[in-house]
Amino acid sequence: MEIIEKIKTNKSIDNQTEIQKICLHKLQSSPLPNPKSELWRLSNKSKLSNFLDYSINEKDSQFDMPYPKNSASTIRLIIGENCQIKLIEKNYSIQQLSEDEIQKYIKEQISFFKQNENWSDLLNLSLSCKNNILGLKINGSKIPPIEIFSHASSNSLNAKTLVIFLEKNCDVELLQVNLGKENSSLSQSTFFCLKENSSVNHGVVSYGENRSNLLNSLNVIQQKNSAYNLGSLHFKFNYARFEISIKQSSGNAKTNIKGMQITKKDEQISTYTKIEFNGPNGFLDQINKSLADDKSHAIFEGSIIVPKIAQRTDASQLSRNLLLSNLAQIDTKPQLEIIADDVKCKHGATISQLNEEELFYMRTRGITLTEASKLQLSSYFQEIISFIPISKDKWDLLDKLLNEN
Amino acid sequence: MVNENLVKDVVKEPYKYGFVTDIETEKIEKGLNEDIIKLISQKKEEPKFLLDFRLKAFKKWQKMKEPDWAALGYKNIDYQDIIYYSAPKQKEKISSLDEVDPKLLETFDKLGIPLTEQKKLTNVAVDAVFDSVSIATTFREELAEHGVIFCSISEAVKNHADLIEKYLGTVVPANDNYFAALNSAVFSDGSFVYIPKGVTCPMDLSSYFRINSGDSGQFERTLIIAEESSSVSYLEGCTAPMFDTNTLHAAVVELVALDDASIKYSTVQNWYAGDEEGIGGIFNFVTKRGKCLGKRSKISWSQVETGSAITWKYPSCLLLGEESVGEFYSVALTNNLQQADTGTKMIHIGPKTKSTIVSKGISAGNSKNSYRGLVKMGTKATGSRNYSQCDSMLIGDQASANTFPYIKSQQPNSEIEHEASTCRISEDQLFYLQSRGIEFEEAVSMMVSGFCRDVFNQLPMEFAAEADKLLALKLEGSVG
Repeated sequence: MEIIEKIKTNKSIDNQTEIQKICLHKLQSSPLPNPKSELWRLSNKSKLSNFLDYSINEKDSQFDMPYPKNSASTIRLIIGENCQIKLIEKNYSIQQLSEDEIQKYIKEQISFFKQNENWSDLLNLSLSCKNNILGLKINGSKIPPIEIFSHASSNSLNAKTLVIFLEKNCDVELLQVNLGKENSSLSQSTFFCLKENSSVNHGVVSYGENRSNLLNSLNVIQQKNSAYNLGSLHFKFNYARFEISIKQSSGNAKTNIKGMQITKKDEQISTYTKIEFNGPNGFLDQINKSLADDKSHAIFEGSIIVPKIAQRTDASQLSRNLLLSNLAQIDTKPQLEIIADDVKCKHGATISQLNEEELFYMRTRGITLTEASKLQLSSYFQEIISFIPISKDKWDLLDKLLNEN
Repeated sequence: MVNENLVKDVVKEPYKYGFVTDIETEKIEKGLNEDIIKLISQKKEEPKFLLDFRLKAFKKWQKMKEPDWAALGYKNIDYQDIIYYSAPKQKEKISSLDEVDPKLLETFDKLGIPLTEQKKLTNVAVDAVFDSVSIATTFREELAEHGVIFCSISEAVKNHADLIEKYLGTVVPANDNYFAALNSAVFSDGSFVYIPKGVTCPMDLSSYFRINSGDSGQFERTLIIAEESSSVSYLEGCTAPMFDTNTLHAAVVELVALDDASIKYSTVQNWYAGDEEGIGGIFNFVTKRGKCLGKRSKISWSQVETGSAITWKYPSCLLLGEESVGEFYSVALTNNLQQADTGTKMIHIGPKTKSTIVSKGISAGNSKNSYRGLVKMGTKATGSRNYSQCDSMLIGDQASANTFPYIKSQQPNSEIEHEASTCRISEDQLFYLQSRGIEFEEAVSMMVSGFCRDVFNQLPMEFAAEADKLLALKLEGSVG
């Protein structure tokens, strides 16, 4: 684990920014996450260390777009490439955040970080150089869809950071695509700050190639009356973890999350979510789906934290899982921690395989077993995919998934 | 509008079992080492295999660390400041209840435990454990006619050593966890039940645990074996006096059910919970586990947990036999500064196994009530099913309710369903009941009772009445 050695000795990471210095300092004494906390998260140790086996690469190889641009107005940005953007239109504006703004915001976030919980972010921020940090300030409405790409080159570890401020009353659709090349590791951290009355439909689609790894972390702060909708899809990674932390800083906000992870072969993909309500009248509707086949392992761990101040919170969390093989494994841990008394909180979890009665019904109607299974899977996938802001004509994710399953 | 203070008053209840019986006891010195264990074993005239079992457990315990993963906060326990053996002084051998110290009988009378055999109407055989030692077991002859063995574990060690050697530590191994290892090393007494093949136990069996001294821990061990096609219902009750210090209670319960056997184990736990400031109270660290070894065997746990300052308890089922069934029904009520981290583990190993979990948590005052459960489907558990339901009720805005279910499946041909919800006493419902002339206090009690109905329905009749009364008592306050 070359990277860990580098962090320990604090050498060969040149031109450190202030943030890098802070994070490296925090990591130096214990650069790896606590084995106990990883045990609770059911991380596969060898896969995690495999993630760290590649050497850091600040420059990317040529990036190939996974699908053509939908319309001329779509805004496309690739983190790590020179993506200067300054759009000031009648209804909206998209501008890059200054270095100071990014630094100030991230520094504030770091002050809340705990080594065990935010290890992925600390690692990302220690390794992410100036060029690989993209900061955007988005204002206004009727904004054309934004697509942001992030990728790792083969045989290297890339760290990319994205910081987005949504100004008051702003309304936007944003798709984030994380691509893993063969034998690569991508560390992607995203910081989202939703100001009052803003709303975003955020899509996160991550998929890799042979033996690619991903540490994807998402930190969202929601101010009053903001709405955050997240549709996420993770598949085809040797090892991937998606860590979501959402804070409704003063309640009165809405959060909708629909996520899915698909594992095959000997892959391990996990999703950890932590949703905190720091004010009254918060709303959460979350569904997480997993599908595990072959010898793979899918993990979901979600916690909802409702302190005393968060009265009248309405939160629900559902974990639905399909286990398709005798050798695959699914773990799910939905958790509730509640102190406020006037709240409605519920969670549910199911693990099963494809519904046999439905399969039987379709077969009696002359549909083959393969077709019937595909139909069932497509309805299972569709609920999540329809929530991801993406153009169906140009990049049909459902087809992509069905063809592979 | 519900007056929050009223609700708080309503859930206050004085602990009525808090008296101390002034009785001469035989105690050994404080502390824990090999010599103490040898001394306990010697006092109980145990065979060598049991002493070896204890010493082995002690060695393992020394290497283990106290678990810290539960959502509990309590001051460190000084294991060297505990008396590990305390027994009421009495004549060497008791042939009938008349020879038991009348003060002891009085104590159990005060607690409402039918120790005297005249009280046949209740039709419950009782094994009463006072501090470390079993005092009396009733209805022995009648049970013996059916071949049922019901006695204290120390007697069983003497008279049925073969059964003890065969089963002790097979469900909860000595090194299972920190508190189980401690118990294995120092357990003083407890109950032993053996139901022979084909026998349905003619009456409910019951044990009553009473801690009397403030500085001695209670470490009892219960072992129940149900042979093929037998069935038994076992009840357990617990109380303790009020002391300013915390008393440690670390028990182990092992159940073994063979083919077609069924064991129903019900607990009403009302240890002293400490006062309103959280001073005193029992630290209750209990390992309870049942092994459904045989085909179509069934183990059902039902518990009403209202006492203890700290509760750490996860009655579990290992479902090995084909088509075996595990059940867990629980009500946990915490008030003031009580903390409870309780739940269950359902480990599905054999095919076509089924389990049901129904857990109701009620938190009031500044208390903390957590459900923690594990459902695991092993690779061979084809056609298995689990259903879990965990509901929490919050009374007041200082109490906390947590739910931590762990669900793990390695078998595609199995189904797991889990649901959890949190609610509070609805103002509309309270208003409705009050508008019908029902007192506020009674209305709250009715609603709590309704919330727990699913679990109470599973308790044996004697206990259901007691549990209902207990909750009503906990809810009885100064509101007039």
